[in-house]
Order: sequence, then C-alpha cells, then structure tokens
Amino acid sequence: MGLVQVATNTVTSAVSSVTLTGINSDDVYMVALNNVQPASDGAYLRMRFTVSASADTSSNYDRATKELRADTTFGNSAQTNADGFNFIENGTNTSETHNNIMYLYNFNNASEYSFATFEETSFMYSETLRGRNGGGVLTETQATDGVNYFFSSGNIASGTFTLYKVI
Amino acid sequence: MSEFGYIPEAPEQSFGNNKGIFTPKDIYDLTRADKYTNYGQLDHLITTNVSSNVSTVNFTGLETYGNYNVFLLTLNDITIEHDNKLIGMEFLSNGVASSTNYQVAGQSCMSNGSFNEIKGTSYPALRLTDNIGNATNECANSYVYIYNNLDSTKYSFITYHGLFQSNSNVQGSEFGSGVLPTTRFDNGLRLHPDQNGSSNFTGGNFSLYGIKEYS
Repeated sequence: MGLVQVATNTVTSAVSSVTLTGINSDDVYMVALNNVQPASDGAYLRMRFTVSASADTSSNYDRATKELRADTTFGNSAQTNADGFNFIENGTNTSETHNNIMYLYNFNNASEYSFATFEETSFMYSETLRGRNGGGVLTETQATDGVNYFFSSGNIASGTFTLYKVI
Repeated sequence: MSEFGYIPEAPEQSFGNNKGIFTPKDIYDLTRADKYTNYGQLDHLITTNVSSNVSTVNFTGLETYGNYNVFLLTLNDITIEHDNKLIGMEFLSNGVASSTNYQVAGQSCMSNGSFNEIKGTSYPALRLTDNIGNATNECANSYVYIYNNLDSTKYSFITYHGLFQSNSNVQGSEFGSGVLPTTRFDNGLRLHPDQNGSSNFTGGNFSLYGIKEYS
C-alpha cells in the first residue's frame, strides 16, 4: 500500500469548517485526522461529502458504528437520513481531541453511493476514552469529490486534516 | 539563486508545485525542508524481524525519522513462547515507560460466537490482540495507527485491529482504541508479548511506517 497526499489543512486558529477536495479517480482514498479539537466544550465533529467542492447538505447520510467506551458499557450509534455523520463529543481541555482514520470508497463513481469507514479514537469532554468504529454511506448516486468537517457548535480550534489517495 | 541553490529563485517551491532546474543537492535540501514533491506519503521507517526469543520489541528515537503526526505499525505472523498471552504496547519517552494508567476500549470478536467488551481506565499497557496460543498456526497479526505521540502537549492515542488464533485454535479479532492520558513526548514504542506479565516473542515481523503530510 502506498499513499499520495491529495490535500491537507492544519488548523492553528479557529475556523468554521475544513474542506478537502481532489478525489478524481476510482481509487480508494484515506483521510487522517489528528488532534482535532472544538472551540466549544461538548461539541462533536460532523462530516459531509462534497459535490463539486461544496458540501452535500441533503438528509441522505446513514451511519452504523460501535461506540467503544473505556469506562462503561459499549453502545451502538447509528443514524439514518441524517444531514451528515456525527462523531464523539470532544472538549476544550488538553487533548480532548478527535483522531481518526477514514477510508473513502466509490466517491468518483457517479452511478454508485459514496461510502466511508471510520476508525475513531477520541477523548471526551468528560475526560474518558471513546472510540467509534464502523461506516457510513451517502445514499445518492452521484460523484463526490471530497470531505467537509465542522463541529456541531462553534469552530474548529485545531487539528490536522489530510486526504490521501491509496495506491 | 535561492537559498536551496536552485535556479531561478522564484517561484517558491512547495509540495506539488516545483519548478526549475534542480541539482541532486537541491532535491536533497528541498526534501528535508518538505518543499520537494515526493509522491508516496507512507514512509517505511523500521522493520524488526524476530526469529529467536526476545522479551520485547522496541522502536525508539522516532523523532529522528521525521515529525510525523500519525504512524502505522503492522504486526505480521507474531508468535509467542507461552500459551494464552495477549500483545501489549507501551509508549516510551526517551526510553522511559509511563507509570500512568492506560485507557483501553476494544471489541473482541471470536468465531465461536463469543463477543466481549474490553474496557478499562487503568491498564498497564495498551492491547493489540486478545489472548493467543502458542501451538502451530496460533499467531497474531495486527495494525495500529498511532496519533500525536511526538507532540509533548497532547495525549498519545491509538486505534488498532488485530486478528489471531486463540490458545484453543479459535479465530478471533479485536478492534478498538487506547490512550495514554499524559502529555508527554512519546518517541518510543515497546511491544510486549504479554500485556499483564512476561513471555517472549518467538517469531514475526514488526514494521513501523510514518504517514507523511506536507503542510
């Protein structure tokens, strides 16, 4: 396996969202998120796919993940017909951050849905470890060319977002 | 002439945007400055091949390979001397292990239908597999993504997915997360053949990769 960087954005001062584009082939793509932190305590990261570099805000996102919790019983976290994917709530204290490896499938194929797998490890605003492993789909037969990230409330305070093509 | 020696001085060079005539030294200098386009951002850093008993496998001085935000560690065909052991991993800061407890949250899945939640906030180490056996064909394989360990202001996180044969030759897998909730410069990794005790690795390959990003 090899990786070729397609786009990256390192946030060092607050921004409302980050968009990575450049998916233009039928290859599998990978996104690495690290040290992603909200400006507002308790906010959770959200994700949408982009069409012609603009976020698809339709309510066609389905997601199924297992929520892994270091301090209590695990849960199932799922959504259908949502307007984006939701992840774990983070905080503003040290290292209450979101880290994730995502693989993106079928984005460039206009006749198929666009899929993503998630492999998240986060430190919650309550100072405990959480992970969400699973996947999601945008149930629209269209080409998508990237990903868009934002928090449920407030800005993105920090983080590195990098999109790679898997070769 | 630019500070890197290439001609002409303009435009400024960056990943994906190099123009001009470059000498080998220019390429070397620009590469070291992350300003030269080298396609292939999964950098193989180290492989340790185990063929005789070792109590741990250590990777140290990780900062010398580059300032990576994310590493990928692969474990292939790992065998252990004793039965019913699970592979653990600790972070090292300049060779020093942490006395702080690790937090772990993993889902163990066994082909005999046994599924278990692996969770805790005071583990002695991160875990990369469930218990494996030491009979023929009982081995472990895993991949681990490691985040922020070279950032002394942030906690060090992992996600992992292991695949193994248990001590009763039952296929299993485990995936999950872990964190060392301490702000340290974790520039080393120590792999243990037994998270909770001692044993020896007897075989297998451990490979570490850096996932490069050009800002």
